[in-house]
Amino acid sequence: MKERENIEVNPISSDRENYLKKELYNLIKKDDSIFEFLQDAAIDGLWFWDLDKPENEWMNPKFWITLGYDPNKMPHKSSAWQDIINKDDLKRVYANFSKHSQDPSYPFDQIVRYRHKLGHTVWIKCRGIILRDDEGTPRKMLGAHTDITQVKRAEQDLRKRINFFEHIIDGTDLGTWRWNVQTGETVFNERWAEIIGYSLYELEPTTINTWMEYSHPEDLEKSNKLLQEHFDGETSIYECEARMKHKNGDYVWVLDKGRVVSWDDQGNPEWMIGSHQEITKKKKDFERNKLFIEQTPSAIAMFDRKMNYLAASKKWFEVYNIKDRNVIGESHFRVLPEIAEKWKSNYQKCLEGEVIKNDEECVEREDGTIQWLSWELRPWYSNENKVGGLIFHASDITKIKREQELKSLLKVTEGQNKRLKNFAHIVSHNLKSHSGNFEMLLDLFFQENPDMRTNEIAQLFKTASQNLSETISHLNEVVLINTSINESLVPIDLKKSIDEATRSVQAIAIESNVTINNKVDEGIKVLAIPAYLDSILLNFITNGIKYSAKEKDSYVTLRTTKKNNEVVLSIEDNGLGIDLEKHQSKLFGMYKTFHPSIEKSRGIGLFITKNQVEAIGGRIEVESKVNSGTTFKIFMKHEKD
Amino acid sequence: MRKIDVACVIDDDPIFVFGIKRIIKIIGFCNNLLVFKNGKEALDNLKSIISENQNVPDVILLDLNMPILDGWQFLDEFVKIPCRKKITIYIVSSSVDPEDVLRAKSYEEVCDYIVKPVTVEMLKEVLQDFENAS
Repeated sequence: MKERENIEVNPISSDRENYLKKELYNLIKKDDSIFEFLQDAAIDGLWFWDLDKPENEWMNPKFWITLGYDPNKMPHKSSAWQDIINKDDLKRVYANFSKHSQDPSYPFDQIVRYRHKLGHTVWIKCRGIILRDDEGTPRKMLGAHTDITQVKRAEQDLRKRINFFEHIIDGTDLGTWRWNVQTGETVFNERWAEIIGYSLYELEPTTINTWMEYSHPEDLEKSNKLLQEHFDGETSIYECEARMKHKNGDYVWVLDKGRVVSWDDQGNPEWMIGSHQEITKKKKDFERNKLFIEQTPSAIAMFDRKMNYLAASKKWFEVYNIKDRNVIGESHFRVLPEIAEKWKSNYQKCLEGEVIKNDEECVEREDGTIQWLSWELRPWYSNENKVGGLIFHASDITKIKREQELKSLLKVTEGQNKRLKNFAHIVSHNLKSHSGNFEMLLDLFFQENPDMRTNEIAQLFKTASQNLSETISHLNEVVLINTSINESLVPIDLKKSIDEATRSVQAIAIESNVTINNKVDEGIKVLAIPAYLDSILLNFITNGIKYSAKEKDSYVTLRTTKKNNEVVLSIEDNGLGIDLEKHQSKLFGMYKTFHPSIEKSRGIGLFITKNQVEAIGGRIEVESKVNSGTTFKIFMKHEKD
Repeated sequence: MRKIDVACVIDDDPIFVFGIKRIIKIIGFCNNLLVFKNGKEALDNLKSIISENQNVPDVILLDLNMPILDGWQFLDEFVKIPCRKKITIYIVSSSVDPEDVLRAKSYEEVCDYIVKPVTVEMLKEVLQDFENAS
């Protein structure tokens, strides 16, 4: 009961004396349109003004509550609000009032600012109508307030936010674009044009064709493919690195990003918004790094976390026999399925941060040959210190491996050679002392027992001892050849050396009826050790004499030809000849004789000669025909003047 | 003309020593003969002989390949011993290695290099050279 009393009594009691309120109440009862107006508009304040007595104005309690004042303390005078309304806004209010009073069709409707009791601004949308008498004279005015402060604030916030984004776009140098996919209408910002060296004004009117015109044809294709993927919902964002033709003729790289923001009723893309970021420098750096990797002389490839190729060296393609070199961005599992599958667990470990390597791994290739590989899987880290992918590095060390094997073989050979030298030393020295003792003792024995000289056994004993000593001395010669290779070679006049050798065999040559022709050109010099060259010449000439055919006019002819850096000395005879088919392999062996009829043949000459020729860096070739003759060719180093 | 008074053979081979003794006897190479089995024995004994200045050899026949101290090591130590008497050294070795021959030449004290086996004739020549030189 008490509440009811309040409702009925309270609003009326405070305004009981005010005639205007009574009149308004009566009007509301009579005229529905006024009631409707109030319903519609009187949200945050209502006022009713007497135009005949303009100092009188009734304001409802809400009017004051909205502005922060106690309605009970505020008088119903038009002067009550004059001080808290913005002065400029008040001028506008008066201006609108006078227009509205002259022309009822001109709306009295404006936004004005009041100062709230607490000091802040309250934005009020103020609307009103003038009530006229039958003659059309303004009598009263009814007004309604709507508090739009929140809307205003939101508007201000929005403006701030727009500024904020504009600053960001300016600050990050982003070109922006807005594209109506269906109409082709396209809007760029100034920076978009600036990236390719133009002002927006120069490019206008802009459409999607503007973009196409300045795009690199190759990238356009890629870009269209990526756009389609985005339209089809395969990608949440369209992203493409593409080249744009700059005003100066160069291409610049941009990172083009965007997304569809509105779709039509059929689900087709309508508006798309995106940005352009210039990445030329980054791209060039990357291209340079890529080139660096490409040219690396070993097989190397860089992958991302999904094992897609980021870069690979040419050698990589060669080693793995990859025909299609356009693998960047492709999955390793697609490019080399078998290998990738086999290494899967290793890749996994590596992507977890482990470095995996093998310095020597033996691989059998498809053709069955053996290949030695040294490889390493190493993770690479992104800026956030996360594994960004891995680098796979492999080198073919087959060659090195083979060289190593050769080296170890060489070591073995060196060891064997050493033992052989040691053995030769024992032979040359120790055996020689023993045979020397034999000789000495026999010598003494005959000195002291001269009558034993005719004893057959004693004689054979002496022969055996001499033969032993001779054999050992031959061995010695051979051993010495091999140990004096280090001696330096000197240039020697070949013709003169031959003349000397000829002189020293003159006696036996005459005796055997053999002519020696020295047809070597004057002044030809060979690199040799003098003692060796003498021995070589002597040996060959003596051989020619020794194995001459008795029934012919025998000769030994020496000639030279030059071949590259070599002098070829040919020593030709028309003697007995050698059956090369039978004896070729043994020709230069030790203790090999091929003419049993020749008593003096010891079978050591050619062996020593060959070793001496080899010791001075030369080689021997032989042509021979039985009963027709033999030609030895000695290749020696030529000394040019 | 000076005769060889004392000769010295340094060799580890008993057969060689036997032989050379015989040859020396046959040709009357010297009056007294010292024989040492290796370089060390020779060096020790010669040191005291020289310091006492008695029986200092006129000629030394030195083998190269010997145990303990070989011919070269003996030479290197021996040339350091001060001695008033001129001692002629012959190297008598089986080695025909040119390196050995060259190395022998590098010692002022070494007169010649004789390759074994030594014969009566060879030792006669040595004797004659000695007599002619003095």
